[in-house]
Amino acid sequence: MSRPVRRWRLDLVPLILPALVLVAWEIASATGLLRAVFFPRPSTIARLLLAQVADGTLLAHLGLTVARLTAAFVLAAVPGVAVGLAMGMSRRTREGLDPLFALLYPIPSVLFLPLVSFALRQEEVAVAVTAAFTSFFLVVYTTMTGVQQLDRTVLEAARHFGAHGRRFFLTVLLPATLPAIFTGLRLGLGYTLIVVVAVEMVSAQRGLGALLWLSWQILKVEEMYVALVTVAVLGAVLTGAVEWLRRRLIPWAQDIAEVGA
Amino acid sequence: MSGAALPVLLLAAWEIAARTAVVSPRYFPPPTVIAATLSRLLTAGEFWGDALTTLSRLAGAFLVAALAGVPLGLAMGLWRPLRRALEPAVAMLYPLPKIALLPLFLILLGVGEGAFVFTAAVTAFFQILTSTAGGTATIDPRLVEAGRNYGARGVTLFRKVILPAALPAVLTGLRLGLGLALITVIAVEFVAAKSGLGHLVFRYWQMLLTGEMYAAFLLIGLMGLGATRGLRAVQRRALGWQEEIGWR
Repeated sequence: MSRPVRRWRLDLVPLILPALVLVAWEIASATGLLRAVFFPRPSTIARLLLAQVADGTLLAHLGLTVARLTAAFVLAAVPGVAVGLAMGMSRRTREGLDPLFALLYPIPSVLFLPLVSFALRQEEVAVAVTAAFTSFFLVVYTTMTGVQQLDRTVLEAARHFGAHGRRFFLTVLLPATLPAIFTGLRLGLGYTLIVVVAVEMVSAQRGLGALLWLSWQILKVEEMYVALVTVAVLGAVLTGAVEWLRRRLIPWAQDIAEVGA
Repeated sequence: MSGAALPVLLLAAWEIAARTAVVSPRYFPPPTVIAATLSRLLTAGEFWGDALTTLSRLAGAFLVAALAGVPLGLAMGLWRPLRRALEPAVAMLYPLPKIALLPLFLILLGVGEGAFVFTAAVTAFFQILTSTAGGTATIDPRLVEAGRNYGARGVTLFRKVILPAALPAVLTGLRLGLGLALITVIAVEFVAAKSGLGHLVFRYWQMLLTGEMYAAFLLIGLMGLGATRGLRAVQRRALGWQEEIGWR
């Protein structure tokens, strides 16, 4: 939501609310106003977090989740961009694939887990493929719409100046579609994280989702908060990284889905 | 007609492969068997209870999210100090996969409907809030200016100028929010609940009743299709004058 023209400066106002919440929580738990069993003091959680970072256990879970996330994201993004471009450029491809995709797209990814694990016996592969499903469709449709919404005048002009075939694709069509592709990748990445965590909660023994779920089941509440904080930070870092990349690579374009999606 | 070619072809290939045991019919029963199972279970009334459970969870989550998200989003869009105070917290929580909050809500609210519905509601809430606030904050100032010049103030300005201008973004937020709420409800059922269509898929999977599993899967797909298509139709009707913001 932040406008890209805003200059970077230290702004303390936005930190007031989170800080107030944390302080109130700390005091309420310390004085017994909140049950410390369920709401351990933020300082306790922070200490456990640091301890788990120091002894490497948290990083092992984090590493596994990031590895699954990366695999799933690549599985979704590479074919997704390719199919999306093809569907945007060729009407026949679009009309051929759209009915199938429209039916599969609204099905929540997690549900593909049984089906995929029947087909692929390797558990880790099944997790990655499952988490890739919906992101693939997100990337496809965003990319396709990006191509369809290109300014016809620009394309015409490029043709008149003699750009054809590969050259037309690489110097005109692809750069012009990049903003849409980026939006698709951003949405896809966020979605992949959701599914990886959900799948880990159901079926994995390790990884952040598993840590979260298992520590809840044995009521190790403090560890649950540590996992939750780590997932939140991971989500925020990923979003920040994509945003940073976008400003670097395509500074001329606003994220088209800033409002819409 | 040609649009149906690929799906029909795939289904036919699946049917033949399963019938000739090229793929194991135990894991991939032929589509005709799945269709027969679905119609049998539907007529026997087996699915209705769980379908109703899922739908009412979805409705509850969506209502909570919309009633909280739209007003707060409008307020954030219109009032800068509020936006500045809340934006960082929202930006921090927005990318958090809300399903990760399920254990927390299970502790807070106990194992039950409250936690299931609330997890889905939070997911939809952030989507609705972000879209609404973004759409309201980026209303063309000239529109508001013109409204003022024609004497619109306070409630009138809000009802006649700001609300219609923000409506496309609000409706987009609601539609995306509904989709996310459905996904989260299903995921929560798959992971934790003991009822609902998501749980059915999980249970049939564990029992290796694959025909039933695919039937439930299919029903969820149709529900998702119906929900998003329905809201898109509403959006088109309500906003005949305007093109949609964003892409879907």
